[in-house]
Amino acid sequence: MGNGLPAMVGPGALKKEKEARLIEDVLAGRHEQFHELIAPYRRGVYLTAYDILQVAADAEEVAQEAFLKAFRALRSFRRESQFSTWLFRIAINEARMRLRRRREVPLETAFPGEDEDGDYTPLMLADWREIPSEALLREETRRLVQESIAQLPEKYREVLTLRDVVGKNIAETSEILGTTTGNTKARLLRARLMLRDIFAERTRRKPRQKQPGRVAP
Amino acid sequence: MKLDCKHIWRELSNYLEGDISDEVRREIEAHVAQCRHCAALLDSTHNILVLVADERRMELPVGFNTRLRQRLEKEMAISGPQ
Repeated sequence: MGNGLPAMVGPGALKKEKEARLIEDVLAGRHEQFHELIAPYRRGVYLTAYDILQVAADAEEVAQEAFLKAFRALRSFRRESQFSTWLFRIAINEARMRLRRRREVPLETAFPGEDEDGDYTPLMLADWREIPSEALLREETRRLVQESIAQLPEKYREVLTLRDVVGKNIAETSEILGTTTGNTKARLLRARLMLRDIFAERTRRKPRQKQPGRVAP
Repeated sequence: MKLDCKHIWRELSNYLEGDISDEVRREIEAHVAQCRHCAALLDSTHNILVLVADERRMELPVGFNTRLRQRLEKEMAISGPQ
């Protein structure tokens, strides 16, 4: 099961040379080439914003802002990092700013079992492992996953979204978040274990089947 | 070296990434074969990551690309990269 993580789905990144040429074109005044430059990243940027903000309209606005900023600031893009790394960093910053402004969500939610320096102790739920595979195709499951991600503290939500939702590798995730790979791996471990626990809790609380006109217990 | 449960939890994420030495992998697999808690933990964490990855297929909002293009074109008409 070691390499069981699904591979990145989607159009894939443009070849680096093509990307460099498109950037040159935009900077030389052929602005419309910017659409092609960002095309492979529209979904990823939106998903990142969505996972952080949890509101579709906000995520769309933030994604638009991020692309606009990238367009305006394209001249300051340094070629030593990948264009997508730079772009996702802008998107994460935009989403964070929006979250701060919103003030609904505490900056760092205290989370039971969370101890920054110590180990995270996962809940012991030996009977749980069959649930997600049988539920895999259900729309309900998708909603539960989404709600569970939303419950993660912000820094864990960010790392999980970049690595496990968008499919960035560890190195690029670290670069986007401005942290070391060691730190990213530690955060990712915690994020994954927390997500599993949150999801398990939510799944257990849910009635297995919705019944029309069901009487409240 | 025999790994205890806490070691397994610490290495679980790296194990799922395939980012682990052969020796530690063998230790983990030997432990998991004996310990149903760790086996369940490994399976369920793997399952949740499969579900999370499924999110990548989430549809963009209808008209997202058109609205993005329009907004960018408005900007492009005014000025270019600074």
